[in-house]
Amino acid sequence: MNTASLPRRRFLCQTAAVGAAAALARAGAPGAPPAPDPASPPGIVDTHVTLFRWPFRRLKYDATPALVAKLRRHRITEAWAGTHEALLHKDLAGANERLAAECRTHGEGLLRPFGSVNLAWPDWEEDLRRCHEEHRMPGVRLFPGYQTFDLSHPDLGRLIQLTAARGLILQIVFQMEDPRVHHPLLSLPVVDARPLVPLLERTPAARVQLLHFAGNVAGTDLRALVDRTGAWFEFSRWEGNGRLGQLIRPAPGGARPSVPAARVLFGSHAPYFPVETGLLRLFESPLDAETLHGLMHRNARRLLPA
Amino acid sequence: MDPLAFALNPADYGIPTRDELVAYRIWDTHFHGFNATSDPLGQFHANNLYVRRMGIERSITLEAGGTLRAPLEPAALDAEVRALLVKERAWLSGITPIDPGFPDESCAKMEAWIRRGPCIGIKYVGGNSRGIPCSHPNNDPIIRLAAELGATIYIHTWLKVGGTPRGPGRGNLPGESTPQDVVALARRFPDVRFICGHSGGDWELGVRVVRAQPNVLLEFAGSDPHSGAVDFAARELGADRLVWGGHGPSRSYATELAKVLESDLSHADRLKVFGGNFRRLAAPILRRQGIPFEL
Repeated sequence: MNTASLPRRRFLCQTAAVGAAAALARAGAPGAPPAPDPASPPGIVDTHVTLFRWPFRRLKYDATPALVAKLRRHRITEAWAGTHEALLHKDLAGANERLAAECRTHGEGLLRPFGSVNLAWPDWEEDLRRCHEEHRMPGVRLFPGYQTFDLSHPDLGRLIQLTAARGLILQIVFQMEDPRVHHPLLSLPVVDARPLVPLLERTPAARVQLLHFAGNVAGTDLRALVDRTGAWFEFSRWEGNGRLGQLIRPAPGGARPSVPAARVLFGSHAPYFPVETGLLRLFESPLDAETLHGLMHRNARRLLPA
Repeated sequence: MDPLAFALNPADYGIPTRDELVAYRIWDTHFHGFNATSDPLGQFHANNLYVRRMGIERSITLEAGGTLRAPLEPAALDAEVRALLVKERAWLSGITPIDPGFPDESCAKMEAWIRRGPCIGIKYVGGNSRGIPCSHPNNDPIIRLAAELGATIYIHTWLKVGGTPRGPGRGNLPGESTPQDVVALARRFPDVRFICGHSGGDWELGVRVVRAQPNVLLEFAGSDPHSGAVDFAARELGADRLVWGGHGPSRSYATELAKVLESDLSHADRLKVFGGNFRRLAAPILRRQGIPFEL
């Protein structure tokens, strides 16, 4: 042992709370995180999970009961669930029906189904109607790119109007995985958010949430969406140390934040991403309890009441 | 508000508290401490909040001397970085980037920054002007010198899909090594250990490439957190061959920590991955450089 190392370690230990040994015994037991204490803070609404098989490999939690158990272990009390089948299937009516049934059968009151419509397929309006009227879904989720249309599609404006008229949430997924590791058969375009801005300006009643969206390098599309529309966001794609806090907190000098915290929701992108990623992101930035409660559940409740 | 305090208790959400993170003894072997074009020192100091907040015990910067864009050109802040590596040696170390397109100059830089300087290893960056990957014979004198110095050897690798016809690795930059390049080099130096960076870029393929080459360790920072990836790597390679990196500030510690915390690794294996394996690898040069550490 080199005793000269002690200052750094002592510093770390002194700034941490005591009781590491007992806590480690808990945290170190794989598959058995501590059961949440009922008296602890409220649960989390995860606005971005997806059920069924990812087309390109098995995911650790792609069986719904396993995913639900995993979410519960992390005090996620509600999850808005799309379906991986919507990426490539043509029969979205069938995919949506299976999603609704899966949420009923295995959701244990935790999963809320978000079916999908594909603007590139004919009669997508009927899929939307069934999602709303037959399956009582609170919203639908689009996967531009995989679904072979982009946000300049001429029907997108009508879909936004129809979802607004029905009181549905419209979720738009900007990316599912890093294009650098795509299967070679895939050649997906980058989804450009800019056409969304005028469409949302024309339909201010629309409730639209952008999933796995970080904006372009210059930040101009994010800026336009924040300033000119009422779009909501989740933070699974907000990468970088402290990025979440940097985007939602006022900058030094009181400059307004890039994204109002009240329009940001928790999204894990599970089971493709570990649920732990989103959870740790909440704690990585020095956020106060009020802000955390907003991100964890209050903002989601404003967008979609229980 | 105490900037190191968590406003809510992470244990209530099934993730480690800060004292648990500290107890993992996390060594960030992939720290982009000074990889900013405008204000590298400012970025370094700003990032320290997150280093401390997430309980990182030691950060090992990859930009000690020169820059990743021009490894062999002296950078404006070289003297400041060198002084920081000495002053903050209790928690900060450095490895210096080299360029296999220029083996003589690379060796000279290693002499200056490792033998006569504070650094503990070398880094192969993601591409170079002469298009020389790490498998090229140019690398042999570099590796011989690294072995003599006991320096750690980190090799950025990717298998970017691209090209015509499209395939993994065909989208790489000129000189950007693949895990296949690392294996080819490691076969020539069976007594030297190498770190294959970014899990080969595509972990499902990268793990398969390095699996049979026992002197290649795998580091898996700098890519999206894929559920199950660390379990897969540990199953195929063994936890003793895995090394953790944070890749901050461009990547989030949340992203990189989650990869391990989500895995089914035992607590003992997590300790190895978070720092134990790298400390054993680097112990000789850490001692030689007089850097304080506990194994």
